[in-house]
Order: sequence, then structure tokens, then C-alpha cells
Amino acid sequence: MFFLKKYKIIIFIAVFLVTALMMISYNLKYGMNNSFLRKIVMETVSPVQEVLSVSIQSVKDSWLRYILLVGIEDENRNLKKKINDLKAVLVSYQEGYREAQRLKKLLSISDNNNYRFIAARVIGREQAALSRTVMINKGSSDGLKNGMPVIAPPGLIGRLVDVSLNVSRVLLFIDENSNIDAIVQRNRTQGIISGAGSGGMILKYISKTQDVKEGDVIVSSGMGGVFPKGWLIGQVIYVDRQDASLFLKIKVAPYVDFSKLEELLILSSDETKFK
Amino acid sequence: MLYYLSLPILSILLIVLQSTITDIIFSGSLLFEMSLIVVIYAGFRLDLIKGMVLAFVFGFVFDCVGGSVPGLFVFIYMIIFLFSFFVSDWLDTGKIHVVVLFSFFCAFLKEIILNLFYYMAFHINVMMNGYSIVFMQALIISLSAPLLFYLMDRAEIFIYEKRV
Repeated sequence: MFFLKKYKIIIFIAVFLVTALMMISYNLKYGMNNSFLRKIVMETVSPVQEVLSVSIQSVKDSWLRYILLVGIEDENRNLKKKINDLKAVLVSYQEGYREAQRLKKLLSISDNNNYRFIAARVIGREQAALSRTVMINKGSSDGLKNGMPVIAPPGLIGRLVDVSLNVSRVLLFIDENSNIDAIVQRNRTQGIISGAGSGGMILKYISKTQDVKEGDVIVSSGMGGVFPKGWLIGQVIYVDRQDASLFLKIKVAPYVDFSKLEELLILSSDETKFK
Repeated sequence: MLYYLSLPILSILLIVLQSTITDIIFSGSLLFEMSLIVVIYAGFRLDLIKGMVLAFVFGFVFDCVGGSVPGLFVFIYMIIFLFSFFVSDWLDTGKIHVVVLFSFFCAFLKEIILNLFYYMAFHINVMMNGYSIVFMQALIISLSAPLLFYLMDRAEIFIYEKRV
């Protein structure tokens, strides 16, 4: 009894350790899956584990969803910014493409004719009631002179009327002060094209006996030495034979939309290009 | 008596929680062994009988849930408890760095015993390819030990209204 009291701690520890070692020894010898106690613990653990696992997993899922949403928000913001940047780039490319198309048309005109052309960009418009002019960024320093014909695909559009050092004004054919000699391409009937403002142009002084129809093409006659011969001016859109006057009343629509002019060619009449 | 009755339930909850955390956070690659920290805490704070019973129960439940040889973790936890129990007289267990270093040492001690056992019983070197994992595991245990010690201190004060 004295021995037990004196060494009770050591005996207690020894009992526990020996029990553990016996458990190990027994399980190593007879296999690990036969223990009844083990099965009880497993059965007890399984529902707890399931509940805990489901709750933690749902918290984890919610957190991941939140992170995902935060990520998507950032991504969305970045993509929107990228879309705006790309839109700006796209607009600049579209502008470049359209400009290239226009310049290509201008170039095809200058390549197909034996004239010297000076290209210019429209920098302003004056669309007052009586005046139809545009400002261009070239002037006398570039070799421009008053009266030079101005071309935009596919034909003539006007002439220079006010040339300063670096800027010039182009009087368009639709200006009411504009009068040029023209002919009907089909039957060579000659007349005068006058501007009619927003109404386009009028072909004057064509006798009622002449055969002019809607759809006839009007070209420059080359008379007067200002405009070269055979350049497109417009197309007949209306012929009035009912009027009491001696002449036909013929409305001509220009080939060019003057409100959308951006680049022009000025035909330098005193110098010709020989191919 | 309440302590001994609640021990199996608490041990099951803790070990299930640690295995769930291990699965979710570390995807099974590392084991966050909170039960080892509880055993070390028991060595520092509890008396011999309570601590030995705690180590036994925790080891047994861990053996059953973890699938190791039954009795192995009972033995290891009791060794670690006894080591903590007898060393606690010479250590200032209230200091965080002491807790961290001692937990790190115990985590390594556990791995050494485990390795020795597997080598002797099955001739398998379980640490052959996993020194970095063992180190990481010991690091996680040692770094989280102060927090768990604090939480257990608070729980102890809450239950007994003073430190036992």
C-alpha cells in the first residue's frame, strides 16, 4: 500500500502509456479496422463532420462568390474602359479609312488627267442665303490663283474667288453668283449653269425646241477658258416645258453633296502635267 | 465530472473541425493540428490526471478519425502532454515566444516519434519527401498556438470564472 501511495503518479502514467502501447500492439497484430470503439467514434463523428463540412463549405462558397463578384466588378470596369478606348481607336481608324477613300477618289482623278492638281482641305463653310462658298487651307503661297477650277469627285464643283496667302475661298456652282458655260453631254446642247442655292443649279438659255430630258448629264463646255472641257457638273432632274418663256426651265442636281466636302483638288490651269 | 463527460464531445468537435479546416483551407496538403496545441495547453495548465485523460481521449479520437494505427496518437499525445507538464515548471508559459517555440518543438517531436514508429513497424520513412511540409506544419501550429492559448484562457475564465 505504501508502495502504491509513494509511486502513484508513476504508476498512473505507466498504466496510461502501457494501455496506449497495448492498443498499438493489438491493432498491429490483429488489424486496425475491427475495433468496436473505433466504429462508435466514426459513427458519432460522421454527422458532426457532415454538418460542419456543409456549413463551412457554404460559407466558403459565399465568400468565393463575393470574391468572384468583386473580381467581376473590377473586370467589368476594366472592360468598359477598354471598350471606350477601343471605340476611340475605332473611330480614328474609320476616319482614316474614309479619308483614304476620299483621297483615293481624288488621286484617281488627278492620275487620269493631264493637269496639275493641288490638293486642299476644307477648313470652313459659308452657307448664307445668297452665298455658297467654302474656305480651303491653301493659298497663293501654294500656287493658287483667282478663277482656278475646283474639283471634287466625280467632277467640277466651283472656282477660286478669293485667294490670300495661305487660305482661299471657293465659289461653289450652287452659289447664285456662279455662272458657267455647260453642254448637255448627249446632244451637245449648250447653255449656262447658274447656281440656285439650296435648289441646286439651273441650266439656262436652252430653247424649247431642244431635246433635253431628265437624267441627261451636264458637262463643262470649255468655253471661256476657265474650266476645262468635258468635266461633270450635274444631272438634269427636272425639265419644265409649260412655262411661257422662250427657254426651258431645267433643274440640275450636282453630283457632289456640297455639305460634305472635306478634301478638294484645285486644277492649276497654267501648268499641265505631261504623262 | 462535467469535464470528463464533455471531453469526448469536445474532442470530436475539435478534431472534426481541424480536419474540415485542413480540407478546405489547405486542400489536405497540410494538417492544422489544433488538438496538439490543446494537449500542449493541457500540459501547461491542467493537473496530471485531467491532462492525461485529455491526451488519451484526443489521441484516441484522432486515431479513429485520422485512420492511423489506433493507440499511436494516444501514445504520442500522452508523451507530449507529459513533456509539456514536466517542462512547464521551468518555462514562463505566459510568454508568447515561449509558447511559439515550445509548440514548434512539440510539433517536430510528434513528427519524429511518428516517423520512428512507422519506420520500426512498417519500414517506411514517412518524412522522406516531406521535410518542408513538416516544417510548414510545425510553423502553422507554433504561430497559431498563442491565439488558441488565448482563446482557451478566455474559455477557462468564462467557465470557471477564474483560471484553474
